[in-house]
Amino acid sequence: MATLTIKNVQKRYGTVAVLKGIDLELHDGEFLVLLGPSGCGKSTLLNMIAGLDTITDGAIEIDGRVINDIHPKDRDIAMVFQSYALYPNMSVARNIAFGLEMRGMNKPDREVAVKKVAALLQMEHLLDRKPAQLSGGQRQRVAMGRALVRDPKVFLFDEPLSNLDAKLRVDMRTEIKKLHQRLGTTIVYVTHDQIEAMTLATRIAIMKEGVVQQFAPPQEVYEQPANIYVASFIGSPAMNFIPAQIVSEADRIGVRIEGAQGASVLPLPAPSAAVLKKVGHDVILGVRPETIARYQHGTNLPPNFARFSAQVSVTEPTGADTLTYLALGGRDAIARVPPKEAPNAGEVAEFTVDMARACLFDPKTEQRVG
Amino acid sequence: MASLQDLPGARGRYAIFGRVFLYAILLLFAAYYLLPLGVMVSTSLKSAAELRSGSLISLPRDFSFEAWGFAWNKANVGVNATGLAPYFWNSVVMVVPSVLISTFMGALNGYALTKWKFPGANLLFALILFGSFIPFQLVLLPMSLTLGFLGLAGTTAGLVLVHVVYGLAFTTLFFRNYYTSIPDDLVKAATIDGAGFFQIFFKIMLPISTPIMVVSIIWQFTQIWNDFLFGASFSSGASAPITVALNNLVNTTTGVKQHNVDMAAAIIAALPTLIVYVLAGKYFVRGLTAGSVKG
Ligand SMILES: Nc1ncnc2c1ncn2[C@@H]1O[C@H](COP(=O)(O)OP(=O)(O)OP(=O)(O)O)[C@@H](O)[C@H]1O
Ligand SMILES: [Mg+2]
Repeated sequence: MATLTIKNVQKRYGTVAVLKGIDLELHDGEFLVLLGPSGCGKSTLLNMIAGLDTITDGAIEIDGRVINDIHPKDRDIAMVFQSYALYPNMSVARNIAFGLEMRGMNKPDREVAVKKVAALLQMEHLLDRKPAQLSGGQRQRVAMGRALVRDPKVFLFDEPLSNLDAKLRVDMRTEIKKLHQRLGTTIVYVTHDQIEAMTLATRIAIMKEGVVQQFAPPQEVYEQPANIYVASFIGSPAMNFIPAQIVSEADRIGVRIEGAQGASVLPLPAPSAAVLKKVGHDVILGVRPETIARYQHGTNLPPNFARFSAQVSVTEPTGADTLTYLALGGRDAIARVPPKEAPNAGEVAEFTVDMARACLFDPKTEQRVG
Repeated sequence: MASLQDLPGARGRYAIFGRVFLYAILLLFAAYYLLPLGVMVSTSLKSAAELRSGSLISLPRDFSFEAWGFAWNKANVGVNATGLAPYFWNSVVMVVPSVLISTFMGALNGYALTKWKFPGANLLFALILFGSFIPFQLVLLPMSLTLGFLGLAGTTAGLVLVHVVYGLAFTTLFFRNYYTSIPDDLVKAATIDGAGFFQIFFKIMLPISTPIMVVSIIWQFTQIWNDFLFGASFSSGASAPITVALNNLVNTTTGVKQHNVDMAAAIIAALPTLIVYVLAGKYFVRGLTAGSVKG
């Protein structure tokens, strides 16, 4: 158990800057997920925490101790690799015990430790096999066992589930979460799967081209994304981005969008000072698909709901919901509506949107406004 | 996958005709290559009397191993009537350490060049590789000066050194190419587990190198066993390897020319490499095509 602090960490390969100043601070027992597209520097950062690569600038601390110049084996970390990296020539038991063996633990103690971990991961029956005789999921388990047995201060996972099939991935995801709840160890977990990030993390760091875009708990990242990049990376189907304008109408502030029957103004329930300053300017309205619903005639709308009409172009039933494509502000927006309420393609229908859950972005900087 | 000839429609008349033609050609080539060996074996099994009466390609009437025994320990090699036996052991004593040392060092080089990349590693590898293109003749003189300087001229140890140095280019190439296909994560994982350079090498890399090790051993064994030039240049008299002894035996001018003994001696000299190929040839092909290790 430990705290992990990453201070202005930079990495350059020659002239190529891969990490451009990363700042993260983890409390004891936190589960940090590094999320980002391929090539954004997630593995590089993880390798530097592990000590497998040197830092160009900045500092990494575990429990307040700077570890920049400490050998990987002395950092008290354990790592699970995407390829599992099991030693092909050794039995499962020896794979798990290898780290203890290298640290000079005697054989009886090693055997006890291996038994304990094998029981925890329910793989006692696999201990005598070689890695080649295991299925993908079993290998993954062994790789975790190898990390667990050392009881390190920090666990590092580099896309540990990406080589598994969809079903197994979900199962193992739950298992990792249970394990974390049980052991309470600090974890840094790399993935480019947003669902894994949302389900596992206590905080997510979303990266793009070597820069952290947002570092916040999953729900906050989902509801208050720092910018358009984060908003579009998290959530499936993605958030709708609708070109709009902030207008002041009578005593209300709202956003004007182009709909099926001319423009409609969607009032903003509690505009912040930053939004008030933008009156008359163009903005991008960000709306999650599940905040758009069909308007039921005769119902009284709560004040934060706005009404508009739009033409339906396509509907896609997914079983639980029907994804409904609307022409809005000259673009397609997606609404996630219950199948019973789904309109027909081609029809012009009335919808409501929960403006309390909508986001506004500056079209130039792409940052969230207020 | 089913074999090609089991596919539907693959057994038509033309297909069968094609097969027959193919096998006929293959048989012809096999016979062409086997004929000299056949003549050698058959001649070596004839007695001296039969040799004088019959023709070269006629089969022996009664098999006699007389010539083999003579070649092994009675024939004149150079000036002494020792047979090939002592030289056979000379070769063994020279080949075994040469093969083992050059293979081991090739493995170590390949490991360092691929898993502990240092600046200039690729350039260094290119230079080592260049060694495999240098013709033997070119290094004779500098090598003999070096051996003289080291006080190893004319000794088996000297020959071992020559073969190790010359073989390193090849064994390094084998192991480097094999180790590039082994994921780096394995070394990273072991590093985090606390293993150092040599622990990783001995406990992880060497145990998974069997296929390429077989390739390296066979390659080095045949090269060194069959070498004549280095043997003739850097050994003297009683320490000569079998290839040099064979040459001296065949070229002995005293007495009658005994073709059956010459043939038997030639086969004895070639037998170890033949046996190695028959026993391990399968692994040789497999090792050359082996990819990364499933982990
Ligand atoms: N040794 C190196 N020399 C030069 N560039 C490198 C080196 N290692 C990594 N890079 C570059 O650094 C960037 C980040 O690589 P990294 O492996 O951290 O990406 P990642 O976020 O883990 O991607 P993925 O999801 O595909 O694993 C990439 O653009 C890569 O090309
Ligand atoms: Mg990566």
